[in-house]
Amino acid sequence: MNAPLRYGLQAVLYAAFAATLGYFSTSPAFEPLPAGHALIRLSLNHAGQRKVACRTRSAEELAKLAPNMRAAEDCPRERAPVRVKVELDGAPVAAIVATPAGLSRDGASVAYRRIPVKAGTHRLRVALADDAAGTFDRVREEEVRLEPGRVLVIDFEPGKGGILLR
Amino acid sequence: MLKLLQRLLQRLFLLAESGANAVFGDRLNPLYHLGALSYFLFWVVVASGLYLYAFFDTSVTDAYLSVERITHGQKWAGGIMRSLHRYASDGMVLTMVLHLARHFAFDRHRGFRWFSWVSGVVLLWLVYAAGINGYMLPWDQLAQFTVTATAEWFDALPIFNGLLIRNFLSAENVNDRLFSLLSFLHIGIPLGVLALLWIHTHRVPQARTLPPNPHMAALGAAMVVLSIVKPALSLGPADLAFNAVAIDFDWFYLPTYALLYRWSPGALWALVGGLTLLAALAPWLPPKFGRRELRAFHVLANPDNRIIPVKEDESLLDACLRDGLAMPFDCRNGGCGVCKCTVLHGEVELGPYQESALSDAEREAGRVLACIAKPVSDVEIEYEPSGAAVRPVLVHEAQVVSMDLLAPDVMRVRLEVEGGGRIPFYAGQYINILLEDGQKRAFSFATAPHVPGPIELHIRRIEGGLFTTRVFTTMKVGDRLRFEGPVGSFFLREEGTKPVIFVAGATGFAPVKSMVEHAFHAGLARPMVLYWGTRTLADMYLRQLPEKWAAEHPSFRFVPVLSDPRPEDAWEGRTGLVHEAILRDYPDLAGHRIYACGSVKMVEAAQPAFAKQGLSPDDCFSDAFKLAPRIHSKDADLVRLGGRP
Repeated sequence: MNAPLRYGLQAVLYAAFAATLGYFSTSPAFEPLPAGHALIRLSLNHAGQRKVACRTRSAEELAKLAPNMRAAEDCPRERAPVRVKVELDGAPVAAIVATPAGLSRDGASVAYRRIPVKAGTHRLRVALADDAAGTFDRVREEEVRLEPGRVLVIDFEPGKGGILLR
Repeated sequence: MLKLLQRLLQRLFLLAESGANAVFGDRLNPLYHLGALSYFLFWVVVASGLYLYAFFDTSVTDAYLSVERITHGQKWAGGIMRSLHRYASDGMVLTMVLHLARHFAFDRHRGFRWFSWVSGVVLLWLVYAAGINGYMLPWDQLAQFTVTATAEWFDALPIFNGLLIRNFLSAENVNDRLFSLLSFLHIGIPLGVLALLWIHTHRVPQARTLPPNPHMAALGAAMVVLSIVKPALSLGPADLAFNAVAIDFDWFYLPTYALLYRWSPGALWALVGGLTLLAALAPWLPPKFGRRELRAFHVLANPDNRIIPVKEDESLLDACLRDGLAMPFDCRNGGCGVCKCTVLHGEVELGPYQESALSDAEREAGRVLACIAKPVSDVEIEYEPSGAAVRPVLVHEAQVVSMDLLAPDVMRVRLEVEGGGRIPFYAGQYINILLEDGQKRAFSFATAPHVPGPIELHIRRIEGGLFTTRVFTTMKVGDRLRFEGPVGSFFLREEGTKPVIFVAGATGFAPVKSMVEHAFHAGLARPMVLYWGTRTLADMYLRQLPEKWAAEHPSFRFVPVLSDPRPEDAWEGRTGLVHEAILRDYPDLAGHRIYACGSVKMVEAAQPAFAKQGLSPDDCFSDAFKLAPRIHSKDADLVRLGGRP
């Protein structure tokens, strides 16, 4: 192989290398969400109610305890799991039972779901239970309009009104 | 399955390398410089990254804007730097993956190379981590995707369990501290890469960390052109309330993220963890159960006349370079033929190579490519040193600490090396005493390598001998001597199971003593027999020692032979020439290994006689007759036992 041809082929191979880098560094495009879809992120970090309610200790019980341990109430640490149900247009799209963190199950319940949904207007219903009986006593239901690519966050913060849609 | 994959990859590489050899030439073939190319790209990434960091703003409001200013505000500086940063990072992934794949294909990841392999696997992940982390910094839609996908992926781990994503649910969750953290990581991880790269490369003797200049120039130019033609650009600014429907995706760094939403985060962890574990364990796959003999050998390299240990699966070139020999090399991949050497003795695995690098005629003539040839027995090679001179033998100063007359004409001299240091040597090697007028006299180590303390020599008086006369007349304890060593190729081969026959003539007992004591120390269990021949009983100066060995070690037998016993010796044992006693006792010497040390006359008479009775030339060791015709260097002395001039 003569020198000009060799140099030419070298240039072609370098160009091919560069083209490979150039192409695959941006292409083909990736679709993290199907076309025409929106995304619901259900995320919560909430400590459920105590599984067993606190009870007041009697005088006899208190007397049996060491002086430094004489708390007026006996509160078992374990908390109830937090249950969440999400329905879209009447159909369930998520049902979560989030167990409390910690060896004694006394921490917060954490949960996350990524729920792609078709874009458009939907009837959204979120119900949450955080007591031992699993009573879904916190409910939020409303109509939401989700454009393609829109991210709707469902969160729960009792201090800010309970179930939040952001 | 693994072998099949390796064979397939090997064929593909050899094919591609053959084509690249035609275009680039065998010494500039980029496929032979994949590791060095990765290094070069890493430095491009570092240099361009430092420039970008000077203009980057680590705040949630200005991260995106500062990158836009770098990209468009200084198109011919920052813009190109940003593009170089991205493309060099991408290129690094490509060259690293090919580098790893090549080593896997050619089975160069086993044995002592496991460390480089495993550190390479870790390096690849660190580079991935640094690259993915880099994509988070411009805070555009790709950064948003990368951050949230990373959080979602890590949230599948019980330790996070859904907490990480809560940092990216809405814009108010993200603040300036995130960008300080990301910048810190984007500096810290590459520093870790650099540290590990150094460790990774340090294990390879004389590893090249930069490719040839033409490659650097051409690759650098290609990337600048690419940066101009297709500059790296940001997508739209991040908005956590919206998810981009289609993203310009970097498939070098983010392919795992593409699977995240096709599979589940847990399945992706299983895939990535499984592949990483498989890659990390590859040097030991398939597993070999039970005890296995370690295939480590020695190479005697000429013209240095130096014995070098070769680790299991190590190439001749790597072993020689590790020992500081000036062996020439270039591609180190069996492509250029620069490292060609001749195998004089022993066997090697040739390894896969380009036919243009080693012709059939050369192969027939015993030529091999040292960069890929692995010994499968002890070997002796000859090569042409590159530029630098043959490595000189070390010179030591020593003091005579004791002198004992073992026989009327045999003196045991013990030398303590200056500073009390020990000289590493092989059982059977020797030293050259350096005389004032420049002459040398060779004496074998009589001590085994593991024995601490002074060096023991057995010196026989030679009538008219310059040095030996001095030993028996004027030398006294406390005298100082200079010597060079260790030298010599006569040493105990520990591999194999063949019974060993030692043949010692007179003070030829000295190296045999070293070898036998070493064999006992090393736990060599094969049968050993020593035939020690002297003229009279008085000449057999340490006869009690081999008798003691025979009493203590069932695998050892001692046969003393006198050629001219005196009446006062009252000798009833074997008589005659020592090698003839062996010939009588062993009508068939095939399957034996003989170490002969004595006068040149003795071994010259013995060698053809042994060969006639079936002894393989590969199993007959004595410097006196094996190496004499082959050593070209004047300094490469032969063992001249007994201080013969």
